[in-house]
Amino acid sequence: MKPLHYLTLVLLILALIIALVPQNTTRPYKLSAEQLLAEIRTGTQFVIPDEVADKIIQKDPSIQLIDVRNPREFDMFSLPGAINIPLQDILSEGNVEILNQGTKMNIFYSNGSTEANEAWLLTRQLGYQNNYVLQGGLNYWMETILNPTKPGSGASSDEIARYDFRKAASMALGGGDVSASAAPVSASSSSTPKPGVVPVKKKKKASGGC
Amino acid sequence: MGPLAVNDIISSNTNFFLAFVIGIGFGFVLEQCGFSSSRKLAGLFYGYDMVVLKVFFTGGVTAMLGLLFFSLFGWVDLNLVYINPTFLTSAIVGGLIMGAGFIMGGFCPGTSFCGAAIGKIDAMIFIVGLFIGVYFFAFGYPMFETLYKSGAMGSPKISTMLDLSDGVFALILVAVALGMFYVSEWVEKKFPREEY
Repeated sequence: MKPLHYLTLVLLILALIIALVPQNTTRPYKLSAEQLLAEIRTGTQFVIPDEVADKIIQKDPSIQLIDVRNPREFDMFSLPGAINIPLQDILSEGNVEILNQGTKMNIFYSNGSTEANEAWLLTRQLGYQNNYVLQGGLNYWMETILNPTKPGSGASSDEIARYDFRKAASMALGGGDVSASAAPVSASSSSTPKPGVVPVKKKKKASGGC
Repeated sequence: MGPLAVNDIISSNTNFFLAFVIGIGFGFVLEQCGFSSSRKLAGLFYGYDMVVLKVFFTGGVTAMLGLLFFSLFGWVDLNLVYINPTFLTSAIVGGLIMGAGFIMGGFCPGTSFCGAAIGKIDAMIFIVGLFIGVYFFAFGYPMFETLYKSGAMGSPKISTMLDLSDGVFALILVAVALGMFYVSEWVEKKFPREEY
């Protein structure tokens, strides 16, 4: 048999197989169920409110707060510098550049922590890194940062120090009265829910033939 | 898991390194197949040697089947594979210019560097011409811009345009390629040329 006949046979068989099997449209998941369970159990995705408050006050440029509630709730109250990506839009094409990057620390938050956790779960499964969840959500934020309770007289010095920090943070972040929405929401974040991140087209040139 | 570079499995430096290694391999194979001889490419036009067509169609068809199987096994996410955008008009004009250059020069850009590497003077002159063309286009870009950008179609796939699945289109293309192989065998017998 001539080489051309071998080639014909092999190519035709392979092409027949590929024509007959259905197309694989599933996107491969990055983590197995066990790996994900292990991450959830250790709770590595959580960032405590004190840490977030500290970063906000210091205007740490390495964090990006992401509000996953709906735009109406976002307009009523949001954390300073936060952007709004409602949970239902988390998979939309335009957000990939924000969620899948290696420089900033994205922190999801919602009222409780359920929605933020769901957002984290989805992005984690897509293999994105640097996404975290504000522990306890906004409710816990109100409780701890904006309206901290004074520890009792028998409190340890640690507790008192934490209270002092929270009290200071509360003042810096306009705590005390939530309805006043005095949180210094920066102008850019309230007027434009999407940040100025320009989605960069992936530049993976495959140059031509010969 | 793939493509490797887009999914950050390998860094862009590793990517460049792999491209470098693959490039050397490509040049080596081109040379070994005798592509560094300008008669090989001219032979395609005159019909006495159709090996160029056979090699590039085999390469294309193999890569196509390989990618489709990789996608089937979940090794490559085809949505992430970069497709060069199509500019129909400029592709046709460019194809004609390049084809004419092939016949006149006897080299394509890749094979000219192979030829130059083994010391062929005609290949070196071809490269000089190639660079003149590159500079002419680059500095004259404002002149060509309208033509260059005309017929923009995004990154379409023929299979989607024909409303076929990728697999069925692959089968058709393989059949076409094989048909061309048999025709070129026949053409080579019809226009034989000894000693070239």
